[in-house]
Amino acid sequence: MEGFSILTAMVLVPVIGAAVVALIPRSREDVIKAVGLAAAVLVGVASISLAFAFDANSAEYQFVSEASWIEEFGVSWLLGVDGISLFLVVLTGILFPIALVGTDPHRDVKGYTAWMLLLEAGCLGSFLALDLFVFFLFFELTLLPMYFIIGGWGYEKRVYASLKFFLFTLFGSAFMLVGMVALVFLSAKGTAPLTFDIRELAERGALAEDTARWVFLAFTMAFAVKVPLFPFHTWLPDAHTQAPTAGSVILAGVLLKLGTYGLVRFGLSLFPKAAVDLAPVLLTLAVVGIIYGAVCATMQKDLKRLVAYSSVAHLGFIVLGTFALTTQGLSGGVLQMVNHGLSTGALFLLVGMIYERRHTREIAELHGLQRSMPVMAVMFTVVMFSSIGLPGLNGFVGEFLILIGSFVTRRWWAVVGTAGVILAALYLLWAYQRVFHGTPEGENATLTDMTLRERAVMAPLLFLIVFLGVYPQPVLDRINPSVERLVRHVEEKGGYEQPAVAVNGAEGVREERQKKEVEEGQAKQQESERKLAEFKEAEDKAREKARSGGQ
Amino acid sequence: MNGLPMNGLPMNGLLVAQAGQPEGLAPLELPNVEYSAMAPHLILIGGALVLLVWVAMVRRRPPWAWAAFTVAVGLASLGASWLMWLDVGRNGPRTAVADAVVVDGYSIFFMVLVSVIVVLGALMGESFLKREDIRGPEFYVLMLLSSSGAMFMASANDLVITFLGLEILSIALYVLAGLDNRRMESREAAIKYFVLGAFSSAVFLYGVALVYGATGSTNLGEIVGYLQSSVAPANGVLLAGVALLLVGFGFKVAAVPFHTWTPDVYQGAPSPVTGFMAAGAKAAGFAGLLRVFFATFDTLKLDWQPIVWVLAVATLLVGSVLAIVQEDIKRVLAYSSISHAGFVLIGLQAANEKGLAGSLYYLLTYAFMVLGSFTVVTLVGRKGDARHDLDAYRGLSARRPALALAFTVLLLAQAGIPFTTGFLAKFYVISAAVEGRSYSLALIGMLSSVVAAFFYLRITVLMYMSTDEEEAEEARTEPLAIPRSMAVVLAVSVAFTVAFGLLPAPVIDFARDATLLI
Amino acid sequence: MAEYLPIFTMLVLATLFAGLSFFGSAMLGPKKPTRAKEAPYECGIVPRSEPAERFPVRFYLVAMIFVIFDIEIIFLYPWAVIFRQLDLFGLVEMIVFALAVFVSFVYLISNGALDWGPVKRMRPAATAPSRTSDSTVRRIGRAEEAA
Repeated sequence: MEGFSILTAMVLVPVIGAAVVALIPRSREDVIKAVGLAAAVLVGVASISLAFAFDANSAEYQFVSEASWIEEFGVSWLLGVDGISLFLVVLTGILFPIALVGTDPHRDVKGYTAWMLLLEAGCLGSFLALDLFVFFLFFELTLLPMYFIIGGWGYEKRVYASLKFFLFTLFGSAFMLVGMVALVFLSAKGTAPLTFDIRELAERGALAEDTARWVFLAFTMAFAVKVPLFPFHTWLPDAHTQAPTAGSVILAGVLLKLGTYGLVRFGLSLFPKAAVDLAPVLLTLAVVGIIYGAVCATMQKDLKRLVAYSSVAHLGFIVLGTFALTTQGLSGGVLQMVNHGLSTGALFLLVGMIYERRHTREIAELHGLQRSMPVMAVMFTVVMFSSIGLPGLNGFVGEFLILIGSFVTRRWWAVVGTAGVILAALYLLWAYQRVFHGTPEGENATLTDMTLRERAVMAPLLFLIVFLGVYPQPVLDRINPSVERLVRHVEEKGGYEQPAVAVNGAEGVREERQKKEVEEGQAKQQESERKLAEFKEAEDKAREKARSGGQ
Repeated sequence: MNGLPMNGLPMNGLLVAQAGQPEGLAPLELPNVEYSAMAPHLILIGGALVLLVWVAMVRRRPPWAWAAFTVAVGLASLGASWLMWLDVGRNGPRTAVADAVVVDGYSIFFMVLVSVIVVLGALMGESFLKREDIRGPEFYVLMLLSSSGAMFMASANDLVITFLGLEILSIALYVLAGLDNRRMESREAAIKYFVLGAFSSAVFLYGVALVYGATGSTNLGEIVGYLQSSVAPANGVLLAGVALLLVGFGFKVAAVPFHTWTPDVYQGAPSPVTGFMAAGAKAAGFAGLLRVFFATFDTLKLDWQPIVWVLAVATLLVGSVLAIVQEDIKRVLAYSSISHAGFVLIGLQAANEKGLAGSLYYLLTYAFMVLGSFTVVTLVGRKGDARHDLDAYRGLSARRPALALAFTVLLLAQAGIPFTTGFLAKFYVISAAVEGRSYSLALIGMLSSVVAAFFYLRITVLMYMSTDEEEAEEARTEPLAIPRSMAVVLAVSVAFTVAFGLLPAPVIDFARDATLLI
Repeated sequence: MAEYLPIFTMLVLATLFAGLSFFGSAMLGPKKPTRAKEAPYECGIVPRSEPAERFPVRFYLVAMIFVIFDIEIIFLYPWAVIFRQLDLFGLVEMIVFALAVFVSFVYLISNGALDWGPVKRMRPAATAPSRTSDSTVRRIGRAEEAA
């Protein structure tokens, strides 16, 4: 590692921030808050500048920094960013300062700030790691701060929720660790050294087909719990509901993405063949999740739980797009990860603000807030429509790309998934109607509207929601090269070909048709040439015969 | 067999001059006792004897001076071990004292480990003895003797020496377990440990006898020679002997189903003694077990691997599952130590070099984690060493944030959270198992660590997430003092766990180099 | 395995004999329990109180010290027999051994293992202060009065 590496710095700054916070006396809350915010903002600025400095034409990993770490195992400190991880890093960088400013822990600011900063380091480390071992370390490290945040600053059933969250994820990671070690050791056949470098491992592709399938399943186990995919999702509603607002924001906005990101980054690139073969299973689980999450969300009485279940549905979409294995579906999935982070993060913030005022999350208790809190109602509406996927807002772009991407290759899954969009409109609008419409009575009537600080917190999120909905091109430009490269990799190693329409849309089809025509033309020409040659040959033979007969 | 000293051939000993000897007696061939090959062992024993004389001769008896002396002895043996390490690095491993003792990376690794445990154990004991008003230097003396036994187990090249080491280790530990003889539990622990320990020693000895019967020697090198030279070495007697050795060692390391003494003894013994037991006695048991099985019975691998597989699975699962239902912190840690033994057994089952290195790394890092944990247990146990119910930890973070944080780090390291040595230790043995194609065992190990994570987290929940006002009030009225020596132990163990979790290379290299078996 | 046959035979026979003896005596022996038979120490005298279960630990200590020196003798005697053959080596080893035993002995003496006078305690009494010998006498006295 030579000189200054911005990625390493981005991981280290929150850690240093947390250490500094830990050294400040408990009573100096203002200093603690300032230090925590400074560290988070610094990382946020760095992540945004990273997005600008990122070379949109390159599909390779950029800003790579490498240093040898544990030579015995071939582990190195290897960080890098490409189009797939770039915006997740930016999302992390933006959401953390917002979560820190926008919420009030009410007690023990010191511990809270320190854990949040450590959590940020864990998230960034996971997104940036190009070394499987380092990824796993950070992936597991994120559990700990989240566990303490939910358990320490959450609501009534926080201990149960935090334990459930921790153990579920650890259960998944147990499979991944064994799978990871198996992958690395089986890849190091003959003279090839042990390495955890995912670029190298993806190139080697040394696993036998059925072994690769088992290892893929082991990895998927970890990510499926994290996403969460349908049968492993039960920790999520509890964790979300019991977590403090900032915990929910980060959990939904960033941590769940670790699962989908892991599926894209490791599932697809390390086990292309297995991913292609097992895609139907994952797609089915994703679609079941979409419908199940939506149905459950509709039936919730608790506003936060409703948003939590909507996350299950939304992440089902992302998995659908990922395992459609088309360029559009995949880039839609990556974009939707960012979108979901923004809109669900914003929803949790708003619900948190309502809770701060009313001290309840029960939908039945809330009524007519539109009158008492008009600004809140407006913001809620925008965020809600983003979550539903209204054209013009960010959610639409991602969902649309996912649906057309998956429709090409996985028609029926896409069709069922589309029903989820309609259900999303149902549960969110119905909830909005119950909470905001009507005439407020009692406590609901006297609520104060959003403060200036709260509006300022929401502003960047709303800006991004609208911006990505109207003009997603700069983001997609940076995502696409990497996604294309990944799909090509899957095609090469997985013995699979995506339909042309999924690459370039109508133009692709036209190109393909032209190509086909040219090919057909060539084939016809060859055929006629062949026939001509045959004819000539027959003629020659006949002539020969005639000559010999004549003699 | 041909190495036995009675056959009249000069091997590596001194041939004594025969002048003036009575008729009819063959000249004796005497072994060359190289004291330098056992320097750390002898330093510990010598330290114990000096301490005894000191106490007998000097009227003034400042207990802190005994602790300081023990620490100095521990450091001296650490220094001696280090010199030997450098020597082995230069000149290669060798055997000494008529092939009975071996000086190689492996034995020195354990000398270093045991020396460190002595130092930390003495520091832990000092304030405990003062608090409990247990006078006399017995704690230090017995700990030094017991540690020398542990070293002998590691450096034994003869099953008889292994047995001697086992007994030196154990007998001192039986007494240590009953040190706090005003407490009924302590006495009970001593008796229980003694009866079962003596039983296991007998089983071990019977195993040694059978192995001798089958191979004609108790010397490990000669057993290897026999196994390599014979066409079909595995016969019933030999396998029965190996199995009995495994049982004997299994008792010492608390492998299921030979673990039944563990919870009661860990609970009853004075807390620092329990810490010493969990760190030192377990390491010593494994020191003997790993050498005998890796180096000596390597050719019988296919016979013992399945048995160890079953042992490892049972140990992992029973340890972690039963820990969940315990209400006493010492019992929780006892069952957790059982499950850690299961992890070391994973390394043994892999039966490859990585497995050995992984097991060594595991033992080294676990020693620090468990010593630190029992330091906290000792502190929270308060005067009388009795407050060990889990409720005693309720709200600890509010009273003693640093103590709670240290305990959390140590517990989470035991649970295998990244960036601690605990994670790397698990990773090391798991990777050994995967390399040895024991995928199912690796998976069972990791899943059991998820179960284990539950009870470690349960303790952190108590420390951090209980905001009961009444408890807090009680906490204010009942102060929890942290003596300086205890703070040192805690700081050292936490620093080791975290620092070498972040920069693991030195310790990993140390463990790998220690696999230079003779 | 053939050479182990006698041992196994012996093992089986011993087990059989022990089992049969128990079984046989239980089956054949007449059982007519009376109060006198069930009482401890069937010597014809009805015990007046429970027998003393403990006697001073000091006796054990002396016995242990005796055993230690016994063992030292066990080592010293053969050494004496081949003293010349062992030469300097034997002398050194034996001095080391004797020294270790002697040091332990010094420790025992200093701890009062052989003191028979009033107790000089290294540590406070193991039992609660309420349970002195006086209190025990009083307790037994009360129990007897009650009886």
